[in-house]
Amino acid sequence: MSEGVSPSPRGTRPGFSINTHNLIGGLIATVLAALLLAWAFYVPNAVIPRFMSAALVLVGVAATIGLLPVHAPRDFYGGIALVMLPTLALIASAELPGQRGFAFGPGTAPRLFSFVLAALGAAVAIGGVFAEGPPIEKYKIRGPALVIIGILAFANMIRPVGLVPATFLTFMISILGSTEMRWIESLIMAAAMTAFCVFLFVYLLNLPFQLWPRF
Amino acid sequence: MSDLLANLWMGFQVAGNPFNILFCLLGVLVGTLVGVLPGVGSVATIAMLLPITFGLPPVGALIMLAGIYYGAQYGGSTTSVLVNIPGEATSVITCLDGHQMARQGRAGPALSIAAIGSFFAGCVATVLVAALGAPLTGLALLFGPAEYFSLMVLGLIFAVVLAKGSVLKAVAMVLTGLLLSMVGSDLETGAGRMTFDIPELADGIGFANIAMGVFGFAEIIRNLELPAESREILKTKISGLMPSRQDLIDSSGAIARGTLIGSLVGILPGGGAVIASFAAYTFEKKLSKHPERFGRGAIEGVAAPESANNAAAQTSFIPLLTLGIPPNAVMALMVGAMTIHGIVPGPQVMTKQPELFWGMIASMWLGNLMLVVINLPLVGIWVSLLRVPYRLLFPSIIVFCCIGIYSINNSPFDVTIAATFGVIGYWLVKHDFEPAPLLLGFVLGPLMEENLRRAMLIARGDVTVFFTRPISAVLLSTAIILLILAGLPKMRRRRDEVFVE
Repeated sequence: MSEGVSPSPRGTRPGFSINTHNLIGGLIATVLAALLLAWAFYVPNAVIPRFMSAALVLVGVAATIGLLPVHAPRDFYGGIALVMLPTLALIASAELPGQRGFAFGPGTAPRLFSFVLAALGAAVAIGGVFAEGPPIEKYKIRGPALVIIGILAFANMIRPVGLVPATFLTFMISILGSTEMRWIESLIMAAAMTAFCVFLFVYLLNLPFQLWPRF
Repeated sequence: MSDLLANLWMGFQVAGNPFNILFCLLGVLVGTLVGVLPGVGSVATIAMLLPITFGLPPVGALIMLAGIYYGAQYGGSTTSVLVNIPGEATSVITCLDGHQMARQGRAGPALSIAAIGSFFAGCVATVLVAALGAPLTGLALLFGPAEYFSLMVLGLIFAVVLAKGSVLKAVAMVLTGLLLSMVGSDLETGAGRMTFDIPELADGIGFANIAMGVFGFAEIIRNLELPAESREILKTKISGLMPSRQDLIDSSGAIARGTLIGSLVGILPGGGAVIASFAAYTFEKKLSKHPERFGRGAIEGVAAPESANNAAAQTSFIPLLTLGIPPNAVMALMVGAMTIHGIVPGPQVMTKQPELFWGMIASMWLGNLMLVVINLPLVGIWVSLLRVPYRLLFPSIIVFCCIGIYSINNSPFDVTIAATFGVIGYWLVKHDFEPAPLLLGFVLGPLMEENLRRAMLIARGDVTVFFTRPISAVLLSTAIILLILAGLPKMRRRRDEVFVE
């Protein structure tokens, strides 16, 4: 297992130890919560999400400056995110009509499930404050970034340039994410895979793909 | 009984149709392939192939997808035995004794016992699915909206309690899935919900996009992080495929017990093939007079888990086909596949589309037969496939997924959504969240909401209806008891122990 960002100097000054770990996580949480707060004020009727996101900002700040001793960061930040998601959902469904009489409106179920999820997320986060847990695994940048860039490149290329260039380039971009990549075999494999996909999707399955860029 | 036979006969006629045999063959071959290749899971593969089944007739499509699932259970054992790397999560435990057998030059018997065990388990499970189908469907037809809602709650709770990891976090994942499923147009009023005025979201988030993102892309990203595994394929020639008479005698009990355990665990939501194989192995080791032989090439240690995972893979179709409740992520994908073809999974499938129901069951038996007949001679080919390094495999999977997602709706936006869920899935893993409950919640979301709304409407807004109707009350209290049991410190510790082992 790879190590966390930095081992926390736990035990020396309990409660007031600032470690980079909580600094980064806490800052991200604070910024996201602040964005939610701003949005909640922008959207009319989103009263409860305003309180929720304000609370999230406070928790985020507390975690950042070390007021809140986080012992299981995986759970803590995971739980925080699971409070943020329903907060976002509540903001997004703030203007949907709710219950009329005993009939559910379109907004009833989203709000209902949002509150339950927020409660569970809070429980996970609180558990992360008190229970001991492993540090968050280091995030790798290269592999994930190149794979995602490759996929997004496909999404943006398929319409304008067609299937053949999009497939080939996506293959080449994502294979750069591997540390063991070798150029020649990659180029051969990319060409072979492109040919296979064209054969399968266009000729065998008869799907309407544009193969080459149109000028 | 004669009904059952008549139905099975009809099923075999459907499954025996040359096209369906071809789809079945294709399914088990692809399944074996992904089972053999480590790092390519059956969930991701079925998600990947969903778009391809679009043009097929529904029966053929489902027969093929089912074949992938139980074919993968089978293929996983090959890699476990020969390379000591599980090709599939369900054959982790097979590595222990299977690879030891291979080192002792008994790879042939290990593989063939795995095949024979799987085939036997498959036969029993097929009969079980057929036999339990009718009564369970009859039960389900008594259900009203309130009962259905409670049943789904119970199913989800079961899935959560039996899966590994924290129960609280898994429940949170289920709710995340439920919430995500509500994005898009409201079922009754058509109002756009949580769409952020993005027109592409008006139809909701595509099911295949989430599955592909969380299971396909996220898994690839995750695999890239791990150091490259050294795949040392056994150089010794596999001689003598057939097990000796002594091998057969030794393993017959283990196969029978493995099948039994697997069938039972498979029916439970959330159980599925992984737990089945672990449970069968542990049970066999406890029962053995010479437990010290386990881990040193005991043939029972291959026979029991391999029978169990195959049995479980098949019996997990029971809740799906009869009640419409997917017990695990693969079955959730089957729901997606059925929905794509306009079939609503549930008790009505059996009455309205008997040829689909029985055809699928019969095809499972045929598929298992094919696996035994075809695969043993093909071991050489599978082994040579293992020489394809992951660094070439993963970009191929990515482009294949991209094209597949795009082709569902001809929508580049769907590809972007899948990429987003790839990142989310990666994040989930880093924070010890299991993605499977999310997918289950997402699939069951619309059904749950619909039944909840209907139940409330019928009961005129009275929430107690879920506890005053007897069936619903029993289902819900079972769910609550399960949750409490799983939360007890003592049970929690035991549960952790089971999953660590």
